[in-house]
Amino acid sequence: MDVDSFLRDPLSRRRFFARSGVIVAGSSATFLAACGDDTKLAPVGPDESDLADVELLNAALDLELMAVAAYTAGAPLLKGEVLKVGKLFLEQEQEHADGLASAIKDAGGKPNQARASYEFPELRSQTDVLKFAVDLENTAIAAYIDALPKLGAGELRATAAAIISNEAEHIAVLLGALGMEQVPGAFVFGKVA
Amino acid sequence: MAPRPRVTVVDGDADTALVAAYERDRRDLIRRGIGLGGAIVAASSIPLLWSARNAFAAGGPDAEILVAAVRLERIAVLAYDTAIASDLLTPAFARVARRFRGHEQAHADVLTTALTDLGGTPPPEPRIKDIDSVVKGIGDLKSQADVANFTIELETAAVAAYYDAHSKLIDAKLLQTSSSIMANEAQHLVVLRQAVDRPPVPFAFENGKT
Repeated sequence: MDVDSFLRDPLSRRRFFARSGVIVAGSSATFLAACGDDTKLAPVGPDESDLADVELLNAALDLELMAVAAYTAGAPLLKGEVLKVGKLFLEQEQEHADGLASAIKDAGGKPNQARASYEFPELRSQTDVLKFAVDLENTAIAAYIDALPKLGAGELRATAAAIISNEAEHIAVLLGALGMEQVPGAFVFGKVA
Repeated sequence: MAPRPRVTVVDGDADTALVAAYERDRRDLIRRGIGLGGAIVAASSIPLLWSARNAFAAGGPDAEILVAAVRLERIAVLAYDTAIASDLLTPAFARVARRFRGHEQAHADVLTTALTDLGGTPPPEPRIKDIDSVVKGIGDLKSQADVANFTIELETAAVAAYYDAHSKLIDAKLLQTSSSIMANEAQHLVVLRQAVDRPPVPFAFENGKT
């Protein structure tokens, strides 16, 4: 995947979740029409909603694996405290990836693997790496927030929210390292083109 | 695999772009110096976020969660007000506290409008003693570090509350907005932890509990 075009092309980002969104919306609509009342808690069977969750979780896993690769690629340009931060964030992205892979297996799916290579923009300085990391984190947050309502299992929605909050924390630290306002707004929705 | 109980989220086609546009407009007005614009814009924009079709859910689980969330955000506003009014803060930290206080107020405004759109009744304004129901000891703060540690506890409690809400909320846009607020509280935590030399991002999963 060309990450640079991914970051700048909203269609690429939306495509991450579009297919599974259709599956979820379709099955929900069918079920709700049968109920004749869309205000009730709906006990959905595990098969199709687990399948939809797996697809969403694998899309998120792809993003996390890309983030791991990005922090790995950027690390040689980082120095001192910023390097420590970069390593920590790399480890945390890997924890997200591991958690998602476990959840995918729990739901009966097969976790995606990291790609052999990623096409990142040319990074020449620590500032380049920090700015690229902010872009990646913002993109991940936007993708997770898009996906959140489509996740069938409540505990997965809560876990996704915990990951979103961690990515938002990363952004606050990265913006601080860039000398920028660390908490620019009251609501964190990520970057939406 | 055993079937799991599920909650079907209402309105799966949540329009994140609309939410982001709302936030951009709000920020733009504030940047242009319309100080009270945050609250005014928030109130007038909310019908875009919380559509009228959600009125069916009056008295439902989302409304109950919103009452608790509004109360929590108002308590946070009051706690920051109390800290700002003390003589304990440096000018730089006071600026941070005022900024975060503004964020909490914006959360309260958005959630209050969402609640009333659902047919719910906002809770009464909290009093100082109500802060104790979230974090005890606001009357015992003696230093800026005490204030930072107190607000860390407060923000952590808020993150935990929103985390729990995610498995119960059924409105898609409400879920997304709750996530965006939870993430903002987590960003507050980064700045507050840094103010007292604590690790700014200690957990890969920020759920307010680890």
